[in-house]
Amino acid sequence: MTHSLHRVGTRESLQRDWVMLCMPSKDINHVGSGPKLRRFLELCLKNGCVTLGDARKGNAFHQGSLENMMNNIEDRAVVTASFNNKDAVIQMLRDLKEEDLGLSVVVSGLVDEVADCCAKTGLRHHTVHQSLGRWGRTEKLPPEEILEIATMCGHALVAVNFINEMIDEVKKGKMTSKEAADELFKPCMCGIFNTDRAAKLIDAIVAKG
Amino acid sequence: MLINKETCIDCGICVSRCPVGAIKTDAPEGIQVDLDECVECGVCKRLRMCPTEAIYQQPLTWPRTIRSLMSDELVVAEETGISGRGTEEMKTNDVTGRFKPGWAGLAIELGRPGIAARMYDMEKVAMAVAKEGVEFEKANPITSMMADPKTGKFKEELLNERVLSGVIELVIPLEKVPAIISRLKEVEPQLDTVFSLGIISKVEPDGTIPHVKVIQDLGLWISPNGKNNVGLGRPLAKED
Repeated sequence: MTHSLHRVGTRESLQRDWVMLCMPSKDINHVGSGPKLRRFLELCLKNGCVTLGDARKGNAFHQGSLENMMNNIEDRAVVTASFNNKDAVIQMLRDLKEEDLGLSVVVSGLVDEVADCCAKTGLRHHTVHQSLGRWGRTEKLPPEEILEIATMCGHALVAVNFINEMIDEVKKGKMTSKEAADELFKPCMCGIFNTDRAAKLIDAIVAKG
Repeated sequence: MLINKETCIDCGICVSRCPVGAIKTDAPEGIQVDLDECVECGVCKRLRMCPTEAIYQQPLTWPRTIRSLMSDELVVAEETGISGRGTEEMKTNDVTGRFKPGWAGLAIELGRPGIAARMYDMEKVAMAVAKEGVEFEKANPITSMMADPKTGKFKEELLNERVLSGVIELVIPLEKVPAIISRLKEVEPQLDTVFSLGIISKVEPDGTIPHVKVIQDLGLWISPNGKNNVGLGRPLAKED
């Protein structure tokens, strides 16, 4: 599962946060889908994705290299990538339309912006999944500014304590926000933790003091 | 997960990496995994940051196996054949036609984001919504953990198991959404965790997203962002 839903943030911040996913459906079009899934990720790289991953086998850090990750993609994999700008997403949709991989594609982002991307590429969104927020013992949750970073790994594998530790390291000048974001990416196996946005959010927290 | 105390040097680097705070520093033997709190997500071992490689995976047996199934993203569920805690849900709706016009999907994810949940909380929510006569998604591993999917009652031996999150999935007529929301509001104060709630519907030909009005009429917040299936899968489901 992508777990790209429930990403927290302001509209301005979310405008720089897009996730694209490609997956086959069991018994409908999964046979022989591996090379198509790999092609999807190649297009993501071509269009300047920020991060990418394979939810079945893990991200490039886990698999040792990007090359390993690309070579290990199986028929039942779910592959994903994050982007930081709308133009790249529009170009991805153009490329995907042309390639006609025949696999389902999900774009996570501001719903009206995704609709606009679709309109610009002759597509229309087919089905939409939106968050109705967090319920229950919400007092247990970390502050919103930390949640904005943490929810970029929807499987919650990026620990809040780890995020706080990385922010402290940036505050102390021991690492840059980019280096901190790259460290935080490592546990996110499907690769949808947008390091570009994370670095900007860390910068904002550090600037506040 | 466990720490080999013969090789562990108590450096503490692993402590902050645990998503649920299960690596404790106050045990008599130094840094130690609290097995009752550990959800078996595998993050501490997978990050390869332990300088002495003291973190190791102990053999998991039922019912503890559900912890890794629901917490370690790389574990493939038998029910779905895919990794992760959920199902294909709307991601392949262009080819499955699972969510039809006039219907909505609800995804109630207990423990998310990052708080984790015991299965007894999962049961409370499942039993609450089951009162509305809903059918739980059969392909979801959570449903197979129920002793009785009609009532939402879970298998007794699972109730104290702790998982990073689990999704209770329903497909219901749109007009039934208010009744389910009402049940969720009733059960919400009884929980010891959080849940993230999501709603799904198939977009109408004019671009209208049917669930939006239903949610607005209920006065609930709805996110401006979301997941959008863009209809590139083939062959398209028959209704298309």
